[in-house]
Amino acid sequence: MRKLKVAILGSGNIGTDLLIKTLRSPFLECVLFIGRNMASPGMAKANSLGVRISDLSIEAIIREPDCCDLVFDATSARDHIYHWSLLEKLGKIVIDMTPAKVGEMCVPAVNIQKCSLYKNVNMVSCGGQASIPLAYLIGRTQENVEYIEVVSSVASRSAGPATRANIDEYIETTEQGIKKFSGCDRAKAILILNPAQPCIDMQTTVFAKVENPNMEKLKTVVDEMVNNIRLYVPGYQLVVPPVFENNRIVITVKVQGLGDYLPRYAGNLDIINCAAIATAEEYAKEYIRNLDYDDCDSVEEPYVNCID
Amino acid sequence: MRQDLIDIIKEDCALVTTGVSGALSALKGECVLITGGTGFIGTWLTELVAFLNDTYNFNTRLILLSGRAYNFSAKAPHLAMRKDVVIIERDIRSLLDIPSDVSWIIHAAANPDNRLHASDPLKTMDVIVKGTESVLMAATRLPNLQKFLNISSGLVYGSQPLELETIPESFRGNLDFTAIGSAYAEAKRMGETLCAVYRNQHRLPIVNARPFAFIGPYQLLDRPWAINNFIRDSLLGGPIRILGDGETVRSYMYPSDMAFWLLSILVQGTVGLSYNVGSPDGVTLRKLAEKIADHFPLRPKIISRVAEEGNSNHSKFVPDITLAHKTLGLSLKVDIETAIKRTISWNRCLLE
Amino acid sequence: MSTVLISDPTLRDGNHAVRHQLNAAQVALYAAAADAAGVPIVEVGHGNGLGASSLQVGESLISDREMLEVARENLVNSKLSIHVIPGFATINKDLKTAIEIGVDLVRVASHCTEADITQRHIGYARDKGKEVYGVLMMSHMASKELLAEEALKMESYGAEALVIMDSAGAYLPSDVTDRIAELVKSLTIPVGFHGHNNLGMAVANSVAAVQAGATILDGTARGFGAGSGNTQLEVLVAVLEKMGFSTGIDLYKMLDAADIAEKELMPVIPSIKSLSVVSGLSGVFSGFAKHVERISMEYGVNAKDVFFELGRRKVVAGQEDLIIEVAMKLAVEGAVK
Repeated sequence: MRKLKVAILGSGNIGTDLLIKTLRSPFLECVLFIGRNMASPGMAKANSLGVRISDLSIEAIIREPDCCDLVFDATSARDHIYHWSLLEKLGKIVIDMTPAKVGEMCVPAVNIQKCSLYKNVNMVSCGGQASIPLAYLIGRTQENVEYIEVVSSVASRSAGPATRANIDEYIETTEQGIKKFSGCDRAKAILILNPAQPCIDMQTTVFAKVENPNMEKLKTVVDEMVNNIRLYVPGYQLVVPPVFENNRIVITVKVQGLGDYLPRYAGNLDIINCAAIATAEEYAKEYIRNLDYDDCDSVEEPYVNCID
Repeated sequence: MRQDLIDIIKEDCALVTTGVSGALSALKGECVLITGGTGFIGTWLTELVAFLNDTYNFNTRLILLSGRAYNFSAKAPHLAMRKDVVIIERDIRSLLDIPSDVSWIIHAAANPDNRLHASDPLKTMDVIVKGTESVLMAATRLPNLQKFLNISSGLVYGSQPLELETIPESFRGNLDFTAIGSAYAEAKRMGETLCAVYRNQHRLPIVNARPFAFIGPYQLLDRPWAINNFIRDSLLGGPIRILGDGETVRSYMYPSDMAFWLLSILVQGTVGLSYNVGSPDGVTLRKLAEKIADHFPLRPKIISRVAEEGNSNHSKFVPDITLAHKTLGLSLKVDIETAIKRTISWNRCLLE
Repeated sequence: MSTVLISDPTLRDGNHAVRHQLNAAQVALYAAAADAAGVPIVEVGHGNGLGASSLQVGESLISDREMLEVARENLVNSKLSIHVIPGFATINKDLKTAIEIGVDLVRVASHCTEADITQRHIGYARDKGKEVYGVLMMSHMASKELLAEEALKMESYGAEALVIMDSAGAYLPSDVTDRIAELVKSLTIPVGFHGHNNLGMAVANSVAAVQAGATILDGTARGFGAGSGNTQLEVLVAVLEKMGFSTGIDLYKMLDAADIAEKELMPVIPSIKSLSVVSGLSGVFSGFAKHVERISMEYGVNAKDVFFELGRRKVVAGQEDLIIEVAMKLAVEGAVK
């Protein structure tokens, strides 16, 4: 089975977790795992899994531009801007895992087909991935949505120094995503860290202020959506089905991670990575379809209905 | 960079090198590697070497190694574009090879920002310990290494005991090695131990410097140190808020002195020794606040709040520099008044 | 004579008691009275601080801007202070504006084990020349050593004082003595204490705090605040005077201010109800009280059971959405029985 060749830029936890997921994917092949520091544990992990590694950062791809078609960039916002300027010229598809967010926001359950038209997509944020499908449904099924709010609680252990230094950015990005996908122009995002042991799974609640809520309609589409999301995020669960309480719509979901590289409680990191893989696989399917089409072209007649 | 800022630095370099540039002549025509080369220490060393090249035809080449070199050309474009300065962007922890024509190394790769030490003590230690190991290992394969200067830190001494007016290099220090707050200092101590081992086992010509505290151009005022806060708050119109009764004692060296001292220790320091680098002239925070306030026509108010009656919490952090002074003939050319004055000028220019 | 610096969050913590519905007139009235009494610091805002008006913890009647502007107008000698929790308040949307409106003191708070999320907000406020304190909330949930470690981080970021909060009203005086002593020993900056009265210990705890070396105390008029309320300020001032501390506050005028607060701000005077005792014992954030009451009734479960379950799950402030989940679960379990 033909696979899409991908490279992973960034050998930290996100990059390494992505690697393990690509190894499981029937559509993706990781040809290069790239970092800046040979001493990082991710590099050792990749090497032990038999994956080619490099510490040349973006140089590794510049030197061998044909090695891959898609790049996961799990470095930093600043570095991504630089990487994209080079990768765009090389015609690569880039999935941006950093806060840079220069491309199109992608939430697979909502807009994956549209996203495969773009060359640079990002996964918004962890809270965004969990809540945007629900915000989208609220926007679609309810009249006069005045305001949408998303609260995410994550385990302290799953929030590293980078997350902690960028909480404001997380909030602004998530709010942007909510507004875009729900069509509502007032949104708020809140992030809470909880140090309880054993670690809590990521929990996200979506609230909405709506004039005349249609809860029945919402419940049906939410159930459907949750099942769709579970196809690529198996640990996604509905904890509080849509309910109208204290004049607000309330929906709570929980995400438990797959435990690939990071522990299960890091559902916040897992959901972003699962979404990224699902997106990459969509590109892969597109790519394989085109390949098959091209192949057939030269061997048989094209699959076109001719009018006799 | 604006000419008036460049001029301030040039004047500073001229003052510290007048009459004594000969002491550094061993660097003429040589290639020097500075790790952490785009940081505060690295930038000043580059300014001084550039000055020696331009004024005294030293013809010294610099390689600046940095994990985050991207903002150097914004910070000091006049240095970044020099032909005698090469910038290599690389994580110090995975440094494998050093160009073989490097004959002098100044290892300054670390982050002295204590906010980072608080938020990410793990990374802080990792960079210092793994980074020092990597560069020492790579240095063992150099054909012509003359000297390796390890930039340690005055913080290796832990807290200064009350009975010591100034801390001599012989003081073994007192650090609580179980406290996360000791992460940076313990890592620097490990750095010196690694250097001792490489000096003996691998015969590397290593010398250590223990910098204390500095104030001057290129140092950002948002750094959470008393003198930076006082100057920043004064530039904002005040008030200057001193924590405690102001009797805490600190000392500050101007960075042109720092750069000259470091190059002197590199060239003339005795292998195996550690040298304190800083000002021996202690000043109370209250006095410091007053000296700073004096520079503002609209004198900012000075407020001090006592933490607790009876709990004096008076700390001191002042180096004994007898070793550098007696054996290397080093002294301070810039006093605290001038240091403050020039720092305020620099920052005023930046704000314009 | 030793001085104790009083910080008065009547117009912030008190907002919890009225579901954040304090109006501009009330803010103006109390601010003026506190100012006249010589209260050094007056803290104003939504119960959960700047930018916290939300469906999660409750929407405030008036915006942060309105509250701060009217308070600013009515505070002449007293400092205007705000409570800021990163994760709720962002620098761009919330803190920047508050500083432009003219707050004097910014108290940046985190859960007691998560101090490093405050680095940027503390740094921003200091860069703007504002006075900044660090605050550790729900401080009963960490050992004194861990509190000291987290406090040191805030000190390194530029916090000029460190206040620990007994957000659940869970402490006994000996707990406070231990923790404050450890902090005073470890920090260079002054240490403060913010008490809640769920177990009737707020004033006693505050006394223990100053005896252990704290020099900053929070208190509100009549104890107006979350759950069973805060340390009752006018009582605290009287007690401190009796102990020989100076606060700079005019006791008579403070009593007047408390009378005004009682008449104009609060529908009921705070008291320790059964649920408050339970929330204090279970160590749950006092601000949850009204939400737990309401939701327990909706789902037909015992509010005390909900509190104990929340305590067992070690919820922190800002996790009010968990209340529905817990109530639902208990309702199902109850039905099964």
